[in-house]
Amino acid sequence: MKELLITTHELWLETLMASFMARQTENKRTLDEFSDILWRHFTWIEHELIERGIEYDYNRNTIPIKVERLSVIVADIVRRMNEMEMRLIQCDDAALRDRIRTDLEYMRFALGKLPDEPVEAFSMKRRYREIDLGKEATDALTLFLFEESYKEYELIMIYNYLKAHSDDAFLIRVFQILIDESFFHLRSFCEMMAEMGILGVPRVIHESLYKVSDIEKFLLDGIEEEIAAKDQCRELSAAVASESEELAKFFDFINYQENYHIELMREAAAHYAESRRDG
Amino acid sequence: MEVDRELLEHMANPHNYGLLEDADGIGIGENPQNGEKVIVYLKIEEEEGKSPKIEQIRFQAIACMTTVVAGSIITHEAEGIDFETAEDLVAVTLGMLENVPPEEAACSEMVAVALKAAMDSCIERKEHPERPAVVYKIEQSCTPQPVPNPLETSKEQSS
Repeated sequence: MKELLITTHELWLETLMASFMARQTENKRTLDEFSDILWRHFTWIEHELIERGIEYDYNRNTIPIKVERLSVIVADIVRRMNEMEMRLIQCDDAALRDRIRTDLEYMRFALGKLPDEPVEAFSMKRRYREIDLGKEATDALTLFLFEESYKEYELIMIYNYLKAHSDDAFLIRVFQILIDESFFHLRSFCEMMAEMGILGVPRVIHESLYKVSDIEKFLLDGIEEEIAAKDQCRELSAAVASESEELAKFFDFINYQENYHIELMREAAAHYAESRRDG
Repeated sequence: MEVDRELLEHMANPHNYGLLEDADGIGIGENPQNGEKVIVYLKIEEEEGKSPKIEQIRFQAIACMTTVVAGSIITHEAEGIDFETAEDLVAVTLGMLENVPPEEAACSEMVAVALKAAMDSCIERKEHPERPAVVYKIEQSCTPQPVPNPLETSKEQSS
């Protein structure tokens, strides 16, 4: 069952990355939707592990994604789907097993019909649309995107783990909002990376980051990080305003979103502290 | 940090990143100021009368991208060498950091001391296999630097 979780984790990430590589709208939409379905499989399998009292973590292998044509990564996704189907035997829940099997069957069929296209996501051209940035600025933007794409993946996995292990409806709601928000940010940053030819899979996260013993402290530390991210976005927006209205508006948009995250995290920390006091 | 093609490769596909199951030794390099850490896992090959050889090496970083790049470069260098040569690699790396600003040096120092800790862990575990990971703290001070503002830099250049 643990192997099934790892296979699903790798398959989900590879499919998500493939959606960023795709430029043709229909290919992108299909891969993006399939990655969403695979993410749901991942969370359902995780739930099964918890129900059965099996210890697990989010360790996985590195996922090579550097290809020149979309058909190559799609073929690898199909290979992983076959592997996942074989591992389904580890799943005791017949309804879940059948649901995943029929999903895999359809997705493989649909992937077989996807038109091929060249992939530019690894060209290393490091230019975003028509925006003209100097060398130093491009270097800094590159670092920013690598750091932040990893950070968003890390947040998705941390909040997902906390949500999976919580039975508090209030906290579950907050964690789900933060997961959804981080998905949006991850997509935005990875789309920029793909456009700049520097797409990379976020690295594996260490289990000490999500197997958190003090949730209140974790949330309060997280607020500090969100405030720092807000400052970064505000500076980015102000600096770019004269050069790119598009980027300025984007970083303002991300900045304003962080306000809500901070408020939710404050409420969650207070709620957690209160429920701990009440025993 | 100036980004060239080689550095980009390390960022996108860091060498030896991840966990090594059944490692012979585990070492941690830790920054006591901010809790950042690097974990190095080693699998070694031993031959009578010779210095142990690093057969496999993996690392994980709870730290910034600069640390990941340093981990990728240093562990790539350490792959397949014996402990004596690896000790030299650690010493050379730490020596090179003397003239580097502390906040930049801390990232490489964390990797170098984690490698040293992992080698010491291998030696310790020969006698006491149950011993936990060896942890060394770094000396350089590293206050997390805000990510440089690319667009501000661009503005300065254009003005």
